[in-house]
Amino acid sequence: MLKKNSYISAGLSLLITGILVSLVSIFILYLTWLTATGIAMLILSFILLSLGRTIPTLSPEASAILLKTGIDNIASIVEELGISSKAIYLPSSLTGGKPQALIPLHSNPSLPSITRAVTQRLIARYGDNPNDIGLLVSTAGTTVVTMLESRPGPTADEFESALTSLLLGTLGVADKVRVNADGNHIKVMIYKPRIESNTTWFHQCLGGPLASIVTSVAAEAWNRPVTIKQEEHSRGKYSVDLEVQGEDIQ
Amino acid sequence: MKIYNSYILTVAILLLLTTIILVGIGQNSLDIYYTIYVLEALVVTELYVYFSTKARRGLNLVSILLFGGFTFIISQQVIKILT
Repeated sequence: MLKKNSYISAGLSLLITGILVSLVSIFILYLTWLTATGIAMLILSFILLSLGRTIPTLSPEASAILLKTGIDNIASIVEELGISSKAIYLPSSLTGGKPQALIPLHSNPSLPSITRAVTQRLIARYGDNPNDIGLLVSTAGTTVVTMLESRPGPTADEFESALTSLLLGTLGVADKVRVNADGNHIKVMIYKPRIESNTTWFHQCLGGPLASIVTSVAAEAWNRPVTIKQEEHSRGKYSVDLEVQGEDIQ
Repeated sequence: MKIYNSYILTVAILLLLTTIILVGIGQNSLDIYYTIYVLEALVVTELYVYFSTKARRGLNLVSILLFGGFTFIISQQVIKILT
């Protein structure tokens, strides 16, 4: 059964018009160019119908409600606990399943070194020190990483390609993505982003939705913990500076 | 879905331009029109590498359908030459 959307409607209209134009021009008018135009309409209708079937049934507004509800709940916990430390995005190998973000409960001037998998609990221990506990939460990036066809390799090019595929092809939330890696720092530039980032306490701790997606993919690509150093939004550009834990990546 | 719109617009503009150019040079063979349309659609589809897996699967089906028509035209021509 075809789901009703603008692509399907346009495809069906072009299909009917294309068939009529082709038949009339072949058998009555004997005009080759008009028959060819009818065939072009048919080709476009096939493309529209096949793409129309892949449009999600959930409207962007409904998706935004679900996203906001999830974020609000985690934001309440983070704000209630008074956590001000930056989240550390862990790859799936360090969480035992899916990439997640660890928010240390105690602020630490230096990044804690996480070398072994943390336990799959909301409050997780990540080190031997009694203060080494944090909140292990799922973010937008956790879900988005599962949409990748394969895990990207640990190079800036493969990372950029994976982000382009996700943000342009799958989610349709940006126009272009550029990645620059230097030392163990990665600068990601997203052009014309269509997801807004607020400046709440929670966002300063975990980063905006786009930064969260970018950081989760980076953690998976390099298979190391990654933190957001800075994110900036100015005139149709959104830049995210990341720091990969451990030795230099470039 | 901005990438879908840009892809559909690219294919539509290319097919329209092809029709105008071929009419302009006085082309009267439907086989030529169809062959060029199919080639253009296949090339543009290949250039849009960032489609989701679901979209790519759907477009692959369309490509197979169009290529089937192209093969039919070629086989007709071969039969015509041989007989």
